[in-house]
Amino acid sequence: MDIPAERTVDARYLEPPQPFVDTMEMLATLQPGEEMLLLLFREPHPLYRVLQQNGHRWRTELHDDGTFAVRITC
Amino acid sequence: MLSFDQVPPLAAPLRFFVTAPLFIALAGLLAVIDGPAILASRWTPAALAATHLLTVGFMLQVMLGALIQVLPVVAGAALARPLLVARIVHPAINLGALALAGGFLWSAPGWLHAAGTLLALALLVFVGAAGSALFRVPSTSPSVRGLKLSLAGLAVVGGSGLFMLLALAGGWSVPLLALADLHAAWGLAGWAGVLLAAVAYVVVPMFQLTPGYAARPAWRFPLFLFAVLLAWSVALAFDADWPAQLGRLLLAAGGAAFAVQTLRLQAQRRRARPDTTFRYWQFGLYGTLLALAMLAAGALFPALADDPRWTPAFGLVLLLGAFVPLIVGMLAKIVPFLLWLDLQNQGLVGKALPPMNKLLPEAPMQRQFQVFVAAAGLALVAVFLPDWLSRPAGLLLIAAALWLAVNLLQAAWRHGRQLQQAPA
Repeated sequence: MDIPAERTVDARYLEPPQPFVDTMEMLATLQPGEEMLLLLFREPHPLYRVLQQNGHRWRTELHDDGTFAVRITC
Repeated sequence: MLSFDQVPPLAAPLRFFVTAPLFIALAGLLAVIDGPAILASRWTPAALAATHLLTVGFMLQVMLGALIQVLPVVAGAALARPLLVARIVHPAINLGALALAGGFLWSAPGWLHAAGTLLALALLVFVGAAGSALFRVPSTSPSVRGLKLSLAGLAVVGGSGLFMLLALAGGWSVPLLALADLHAAWGLAGWAGVLLAAVAYVVVPMFQLTPGYAARPAWRFPLFLFAVLLAWSVALAFDADWPAQLGRLLLAAGGAAFAVQTLRLQAQRRRARPDTTFRYWQFGLYGTLLALAMLAAGALFPALADDPRWTPAFGLVLLLGAFVPLIVGMLAKIVPFLLWLDLQNQGLVGKALPPMNKLLPEAPMQRQFQVFVAAAGLALVAVFLPDWLSRPAGLLLIAAALWLAVNLLQAAWRHGRQLQQAPA
């Protein structure tokens, strides 16, 4: 299922820690079970730790252009 | 709230970054003391000592320090006890690099044995700690695969180096020339090159705001370098020249593809002003292309190496023109980022935190870059005018190295002052 643009954080040209901050802010607006999408040019391992601690699930795909698309379930 | 509980304490990596530039200064000092002799051949005691001051004292030291920090961020693989690893590896690698240079310089078996013991300790502890963290996580990205391969490359370059040290110190009869070529290839391509690429896949887009590296070449590049090195090593047993020549050509082609791809990404960056990291990387990537062109030319026309200036020139371009500037360029971003992250984690969030570029300001780093470029350029010209220029080149290199160390120390000092001023 596609995730609408308003629930996508495209952090591909943002400097740290902006991608992390934007993702946490968007997660805070979601209801349990809702999904969001994070786009980055790297795998966000530090974010994974925080997601895990907060009980979120995620799935990551690497696209041909080098984009890591992380689907996060609130 | 940023809570990177996997981030190792700042003191673990920082000590490596602060002491490493001193080894570039020592290499410069050798050029000042020994003068033209250091550029006469790859095999003079001074040249061997200077090469290892740069590769072990500077490059290896920065890379090990950076890995302690990078493994949790890039691979999700944190060392179990980062501070303990740093406390063992840091003194062992500093003393080991000094003993190694001394052992080459004075042809002293005792120093070589000491160097072998210290460096073996450093590598065993590091590869053990990093390997047990890294090989537990799946290779979910090209970077993780590259990091794993580079660690295996480190084991090979360390093992082959120790074997040659024992052979030198004990007077064993082994094919030292062929082994030294292979040792250098594993060290520079299998360890440093693969590691640099694995880290670049993450930090070039992150810090220079470029597009990402295309996924397929990124998966294949570290594996390609590794396969070439393995084939070259096996072929050594068959006593033929062509495997080494083919190996050099393939390494040159692979490395050039990576350098060109990175230059193309940098051309599409979204950061308007070129900063020190960008300039160091541009310099280092063009230096890489020149070094790899020389590598390929030397493989196609072996007679080139008959000129005694060829190999020292190649070594200088490869080290001072490529690896060292690429690594310093990363340091210029990683050090202020780590200091800033530490201020965050110390609970100073939202309390007028200085921006990263206030911790390590651009202006002195830009000037340091200009001195480094002058030093590297002069060192290359000195190969052709050794009597005139080897000592001035050494002096400039000392100046560039000490300036880098001072800039990094000042950044650490600003971080400390920020912590003191912060209300509890």
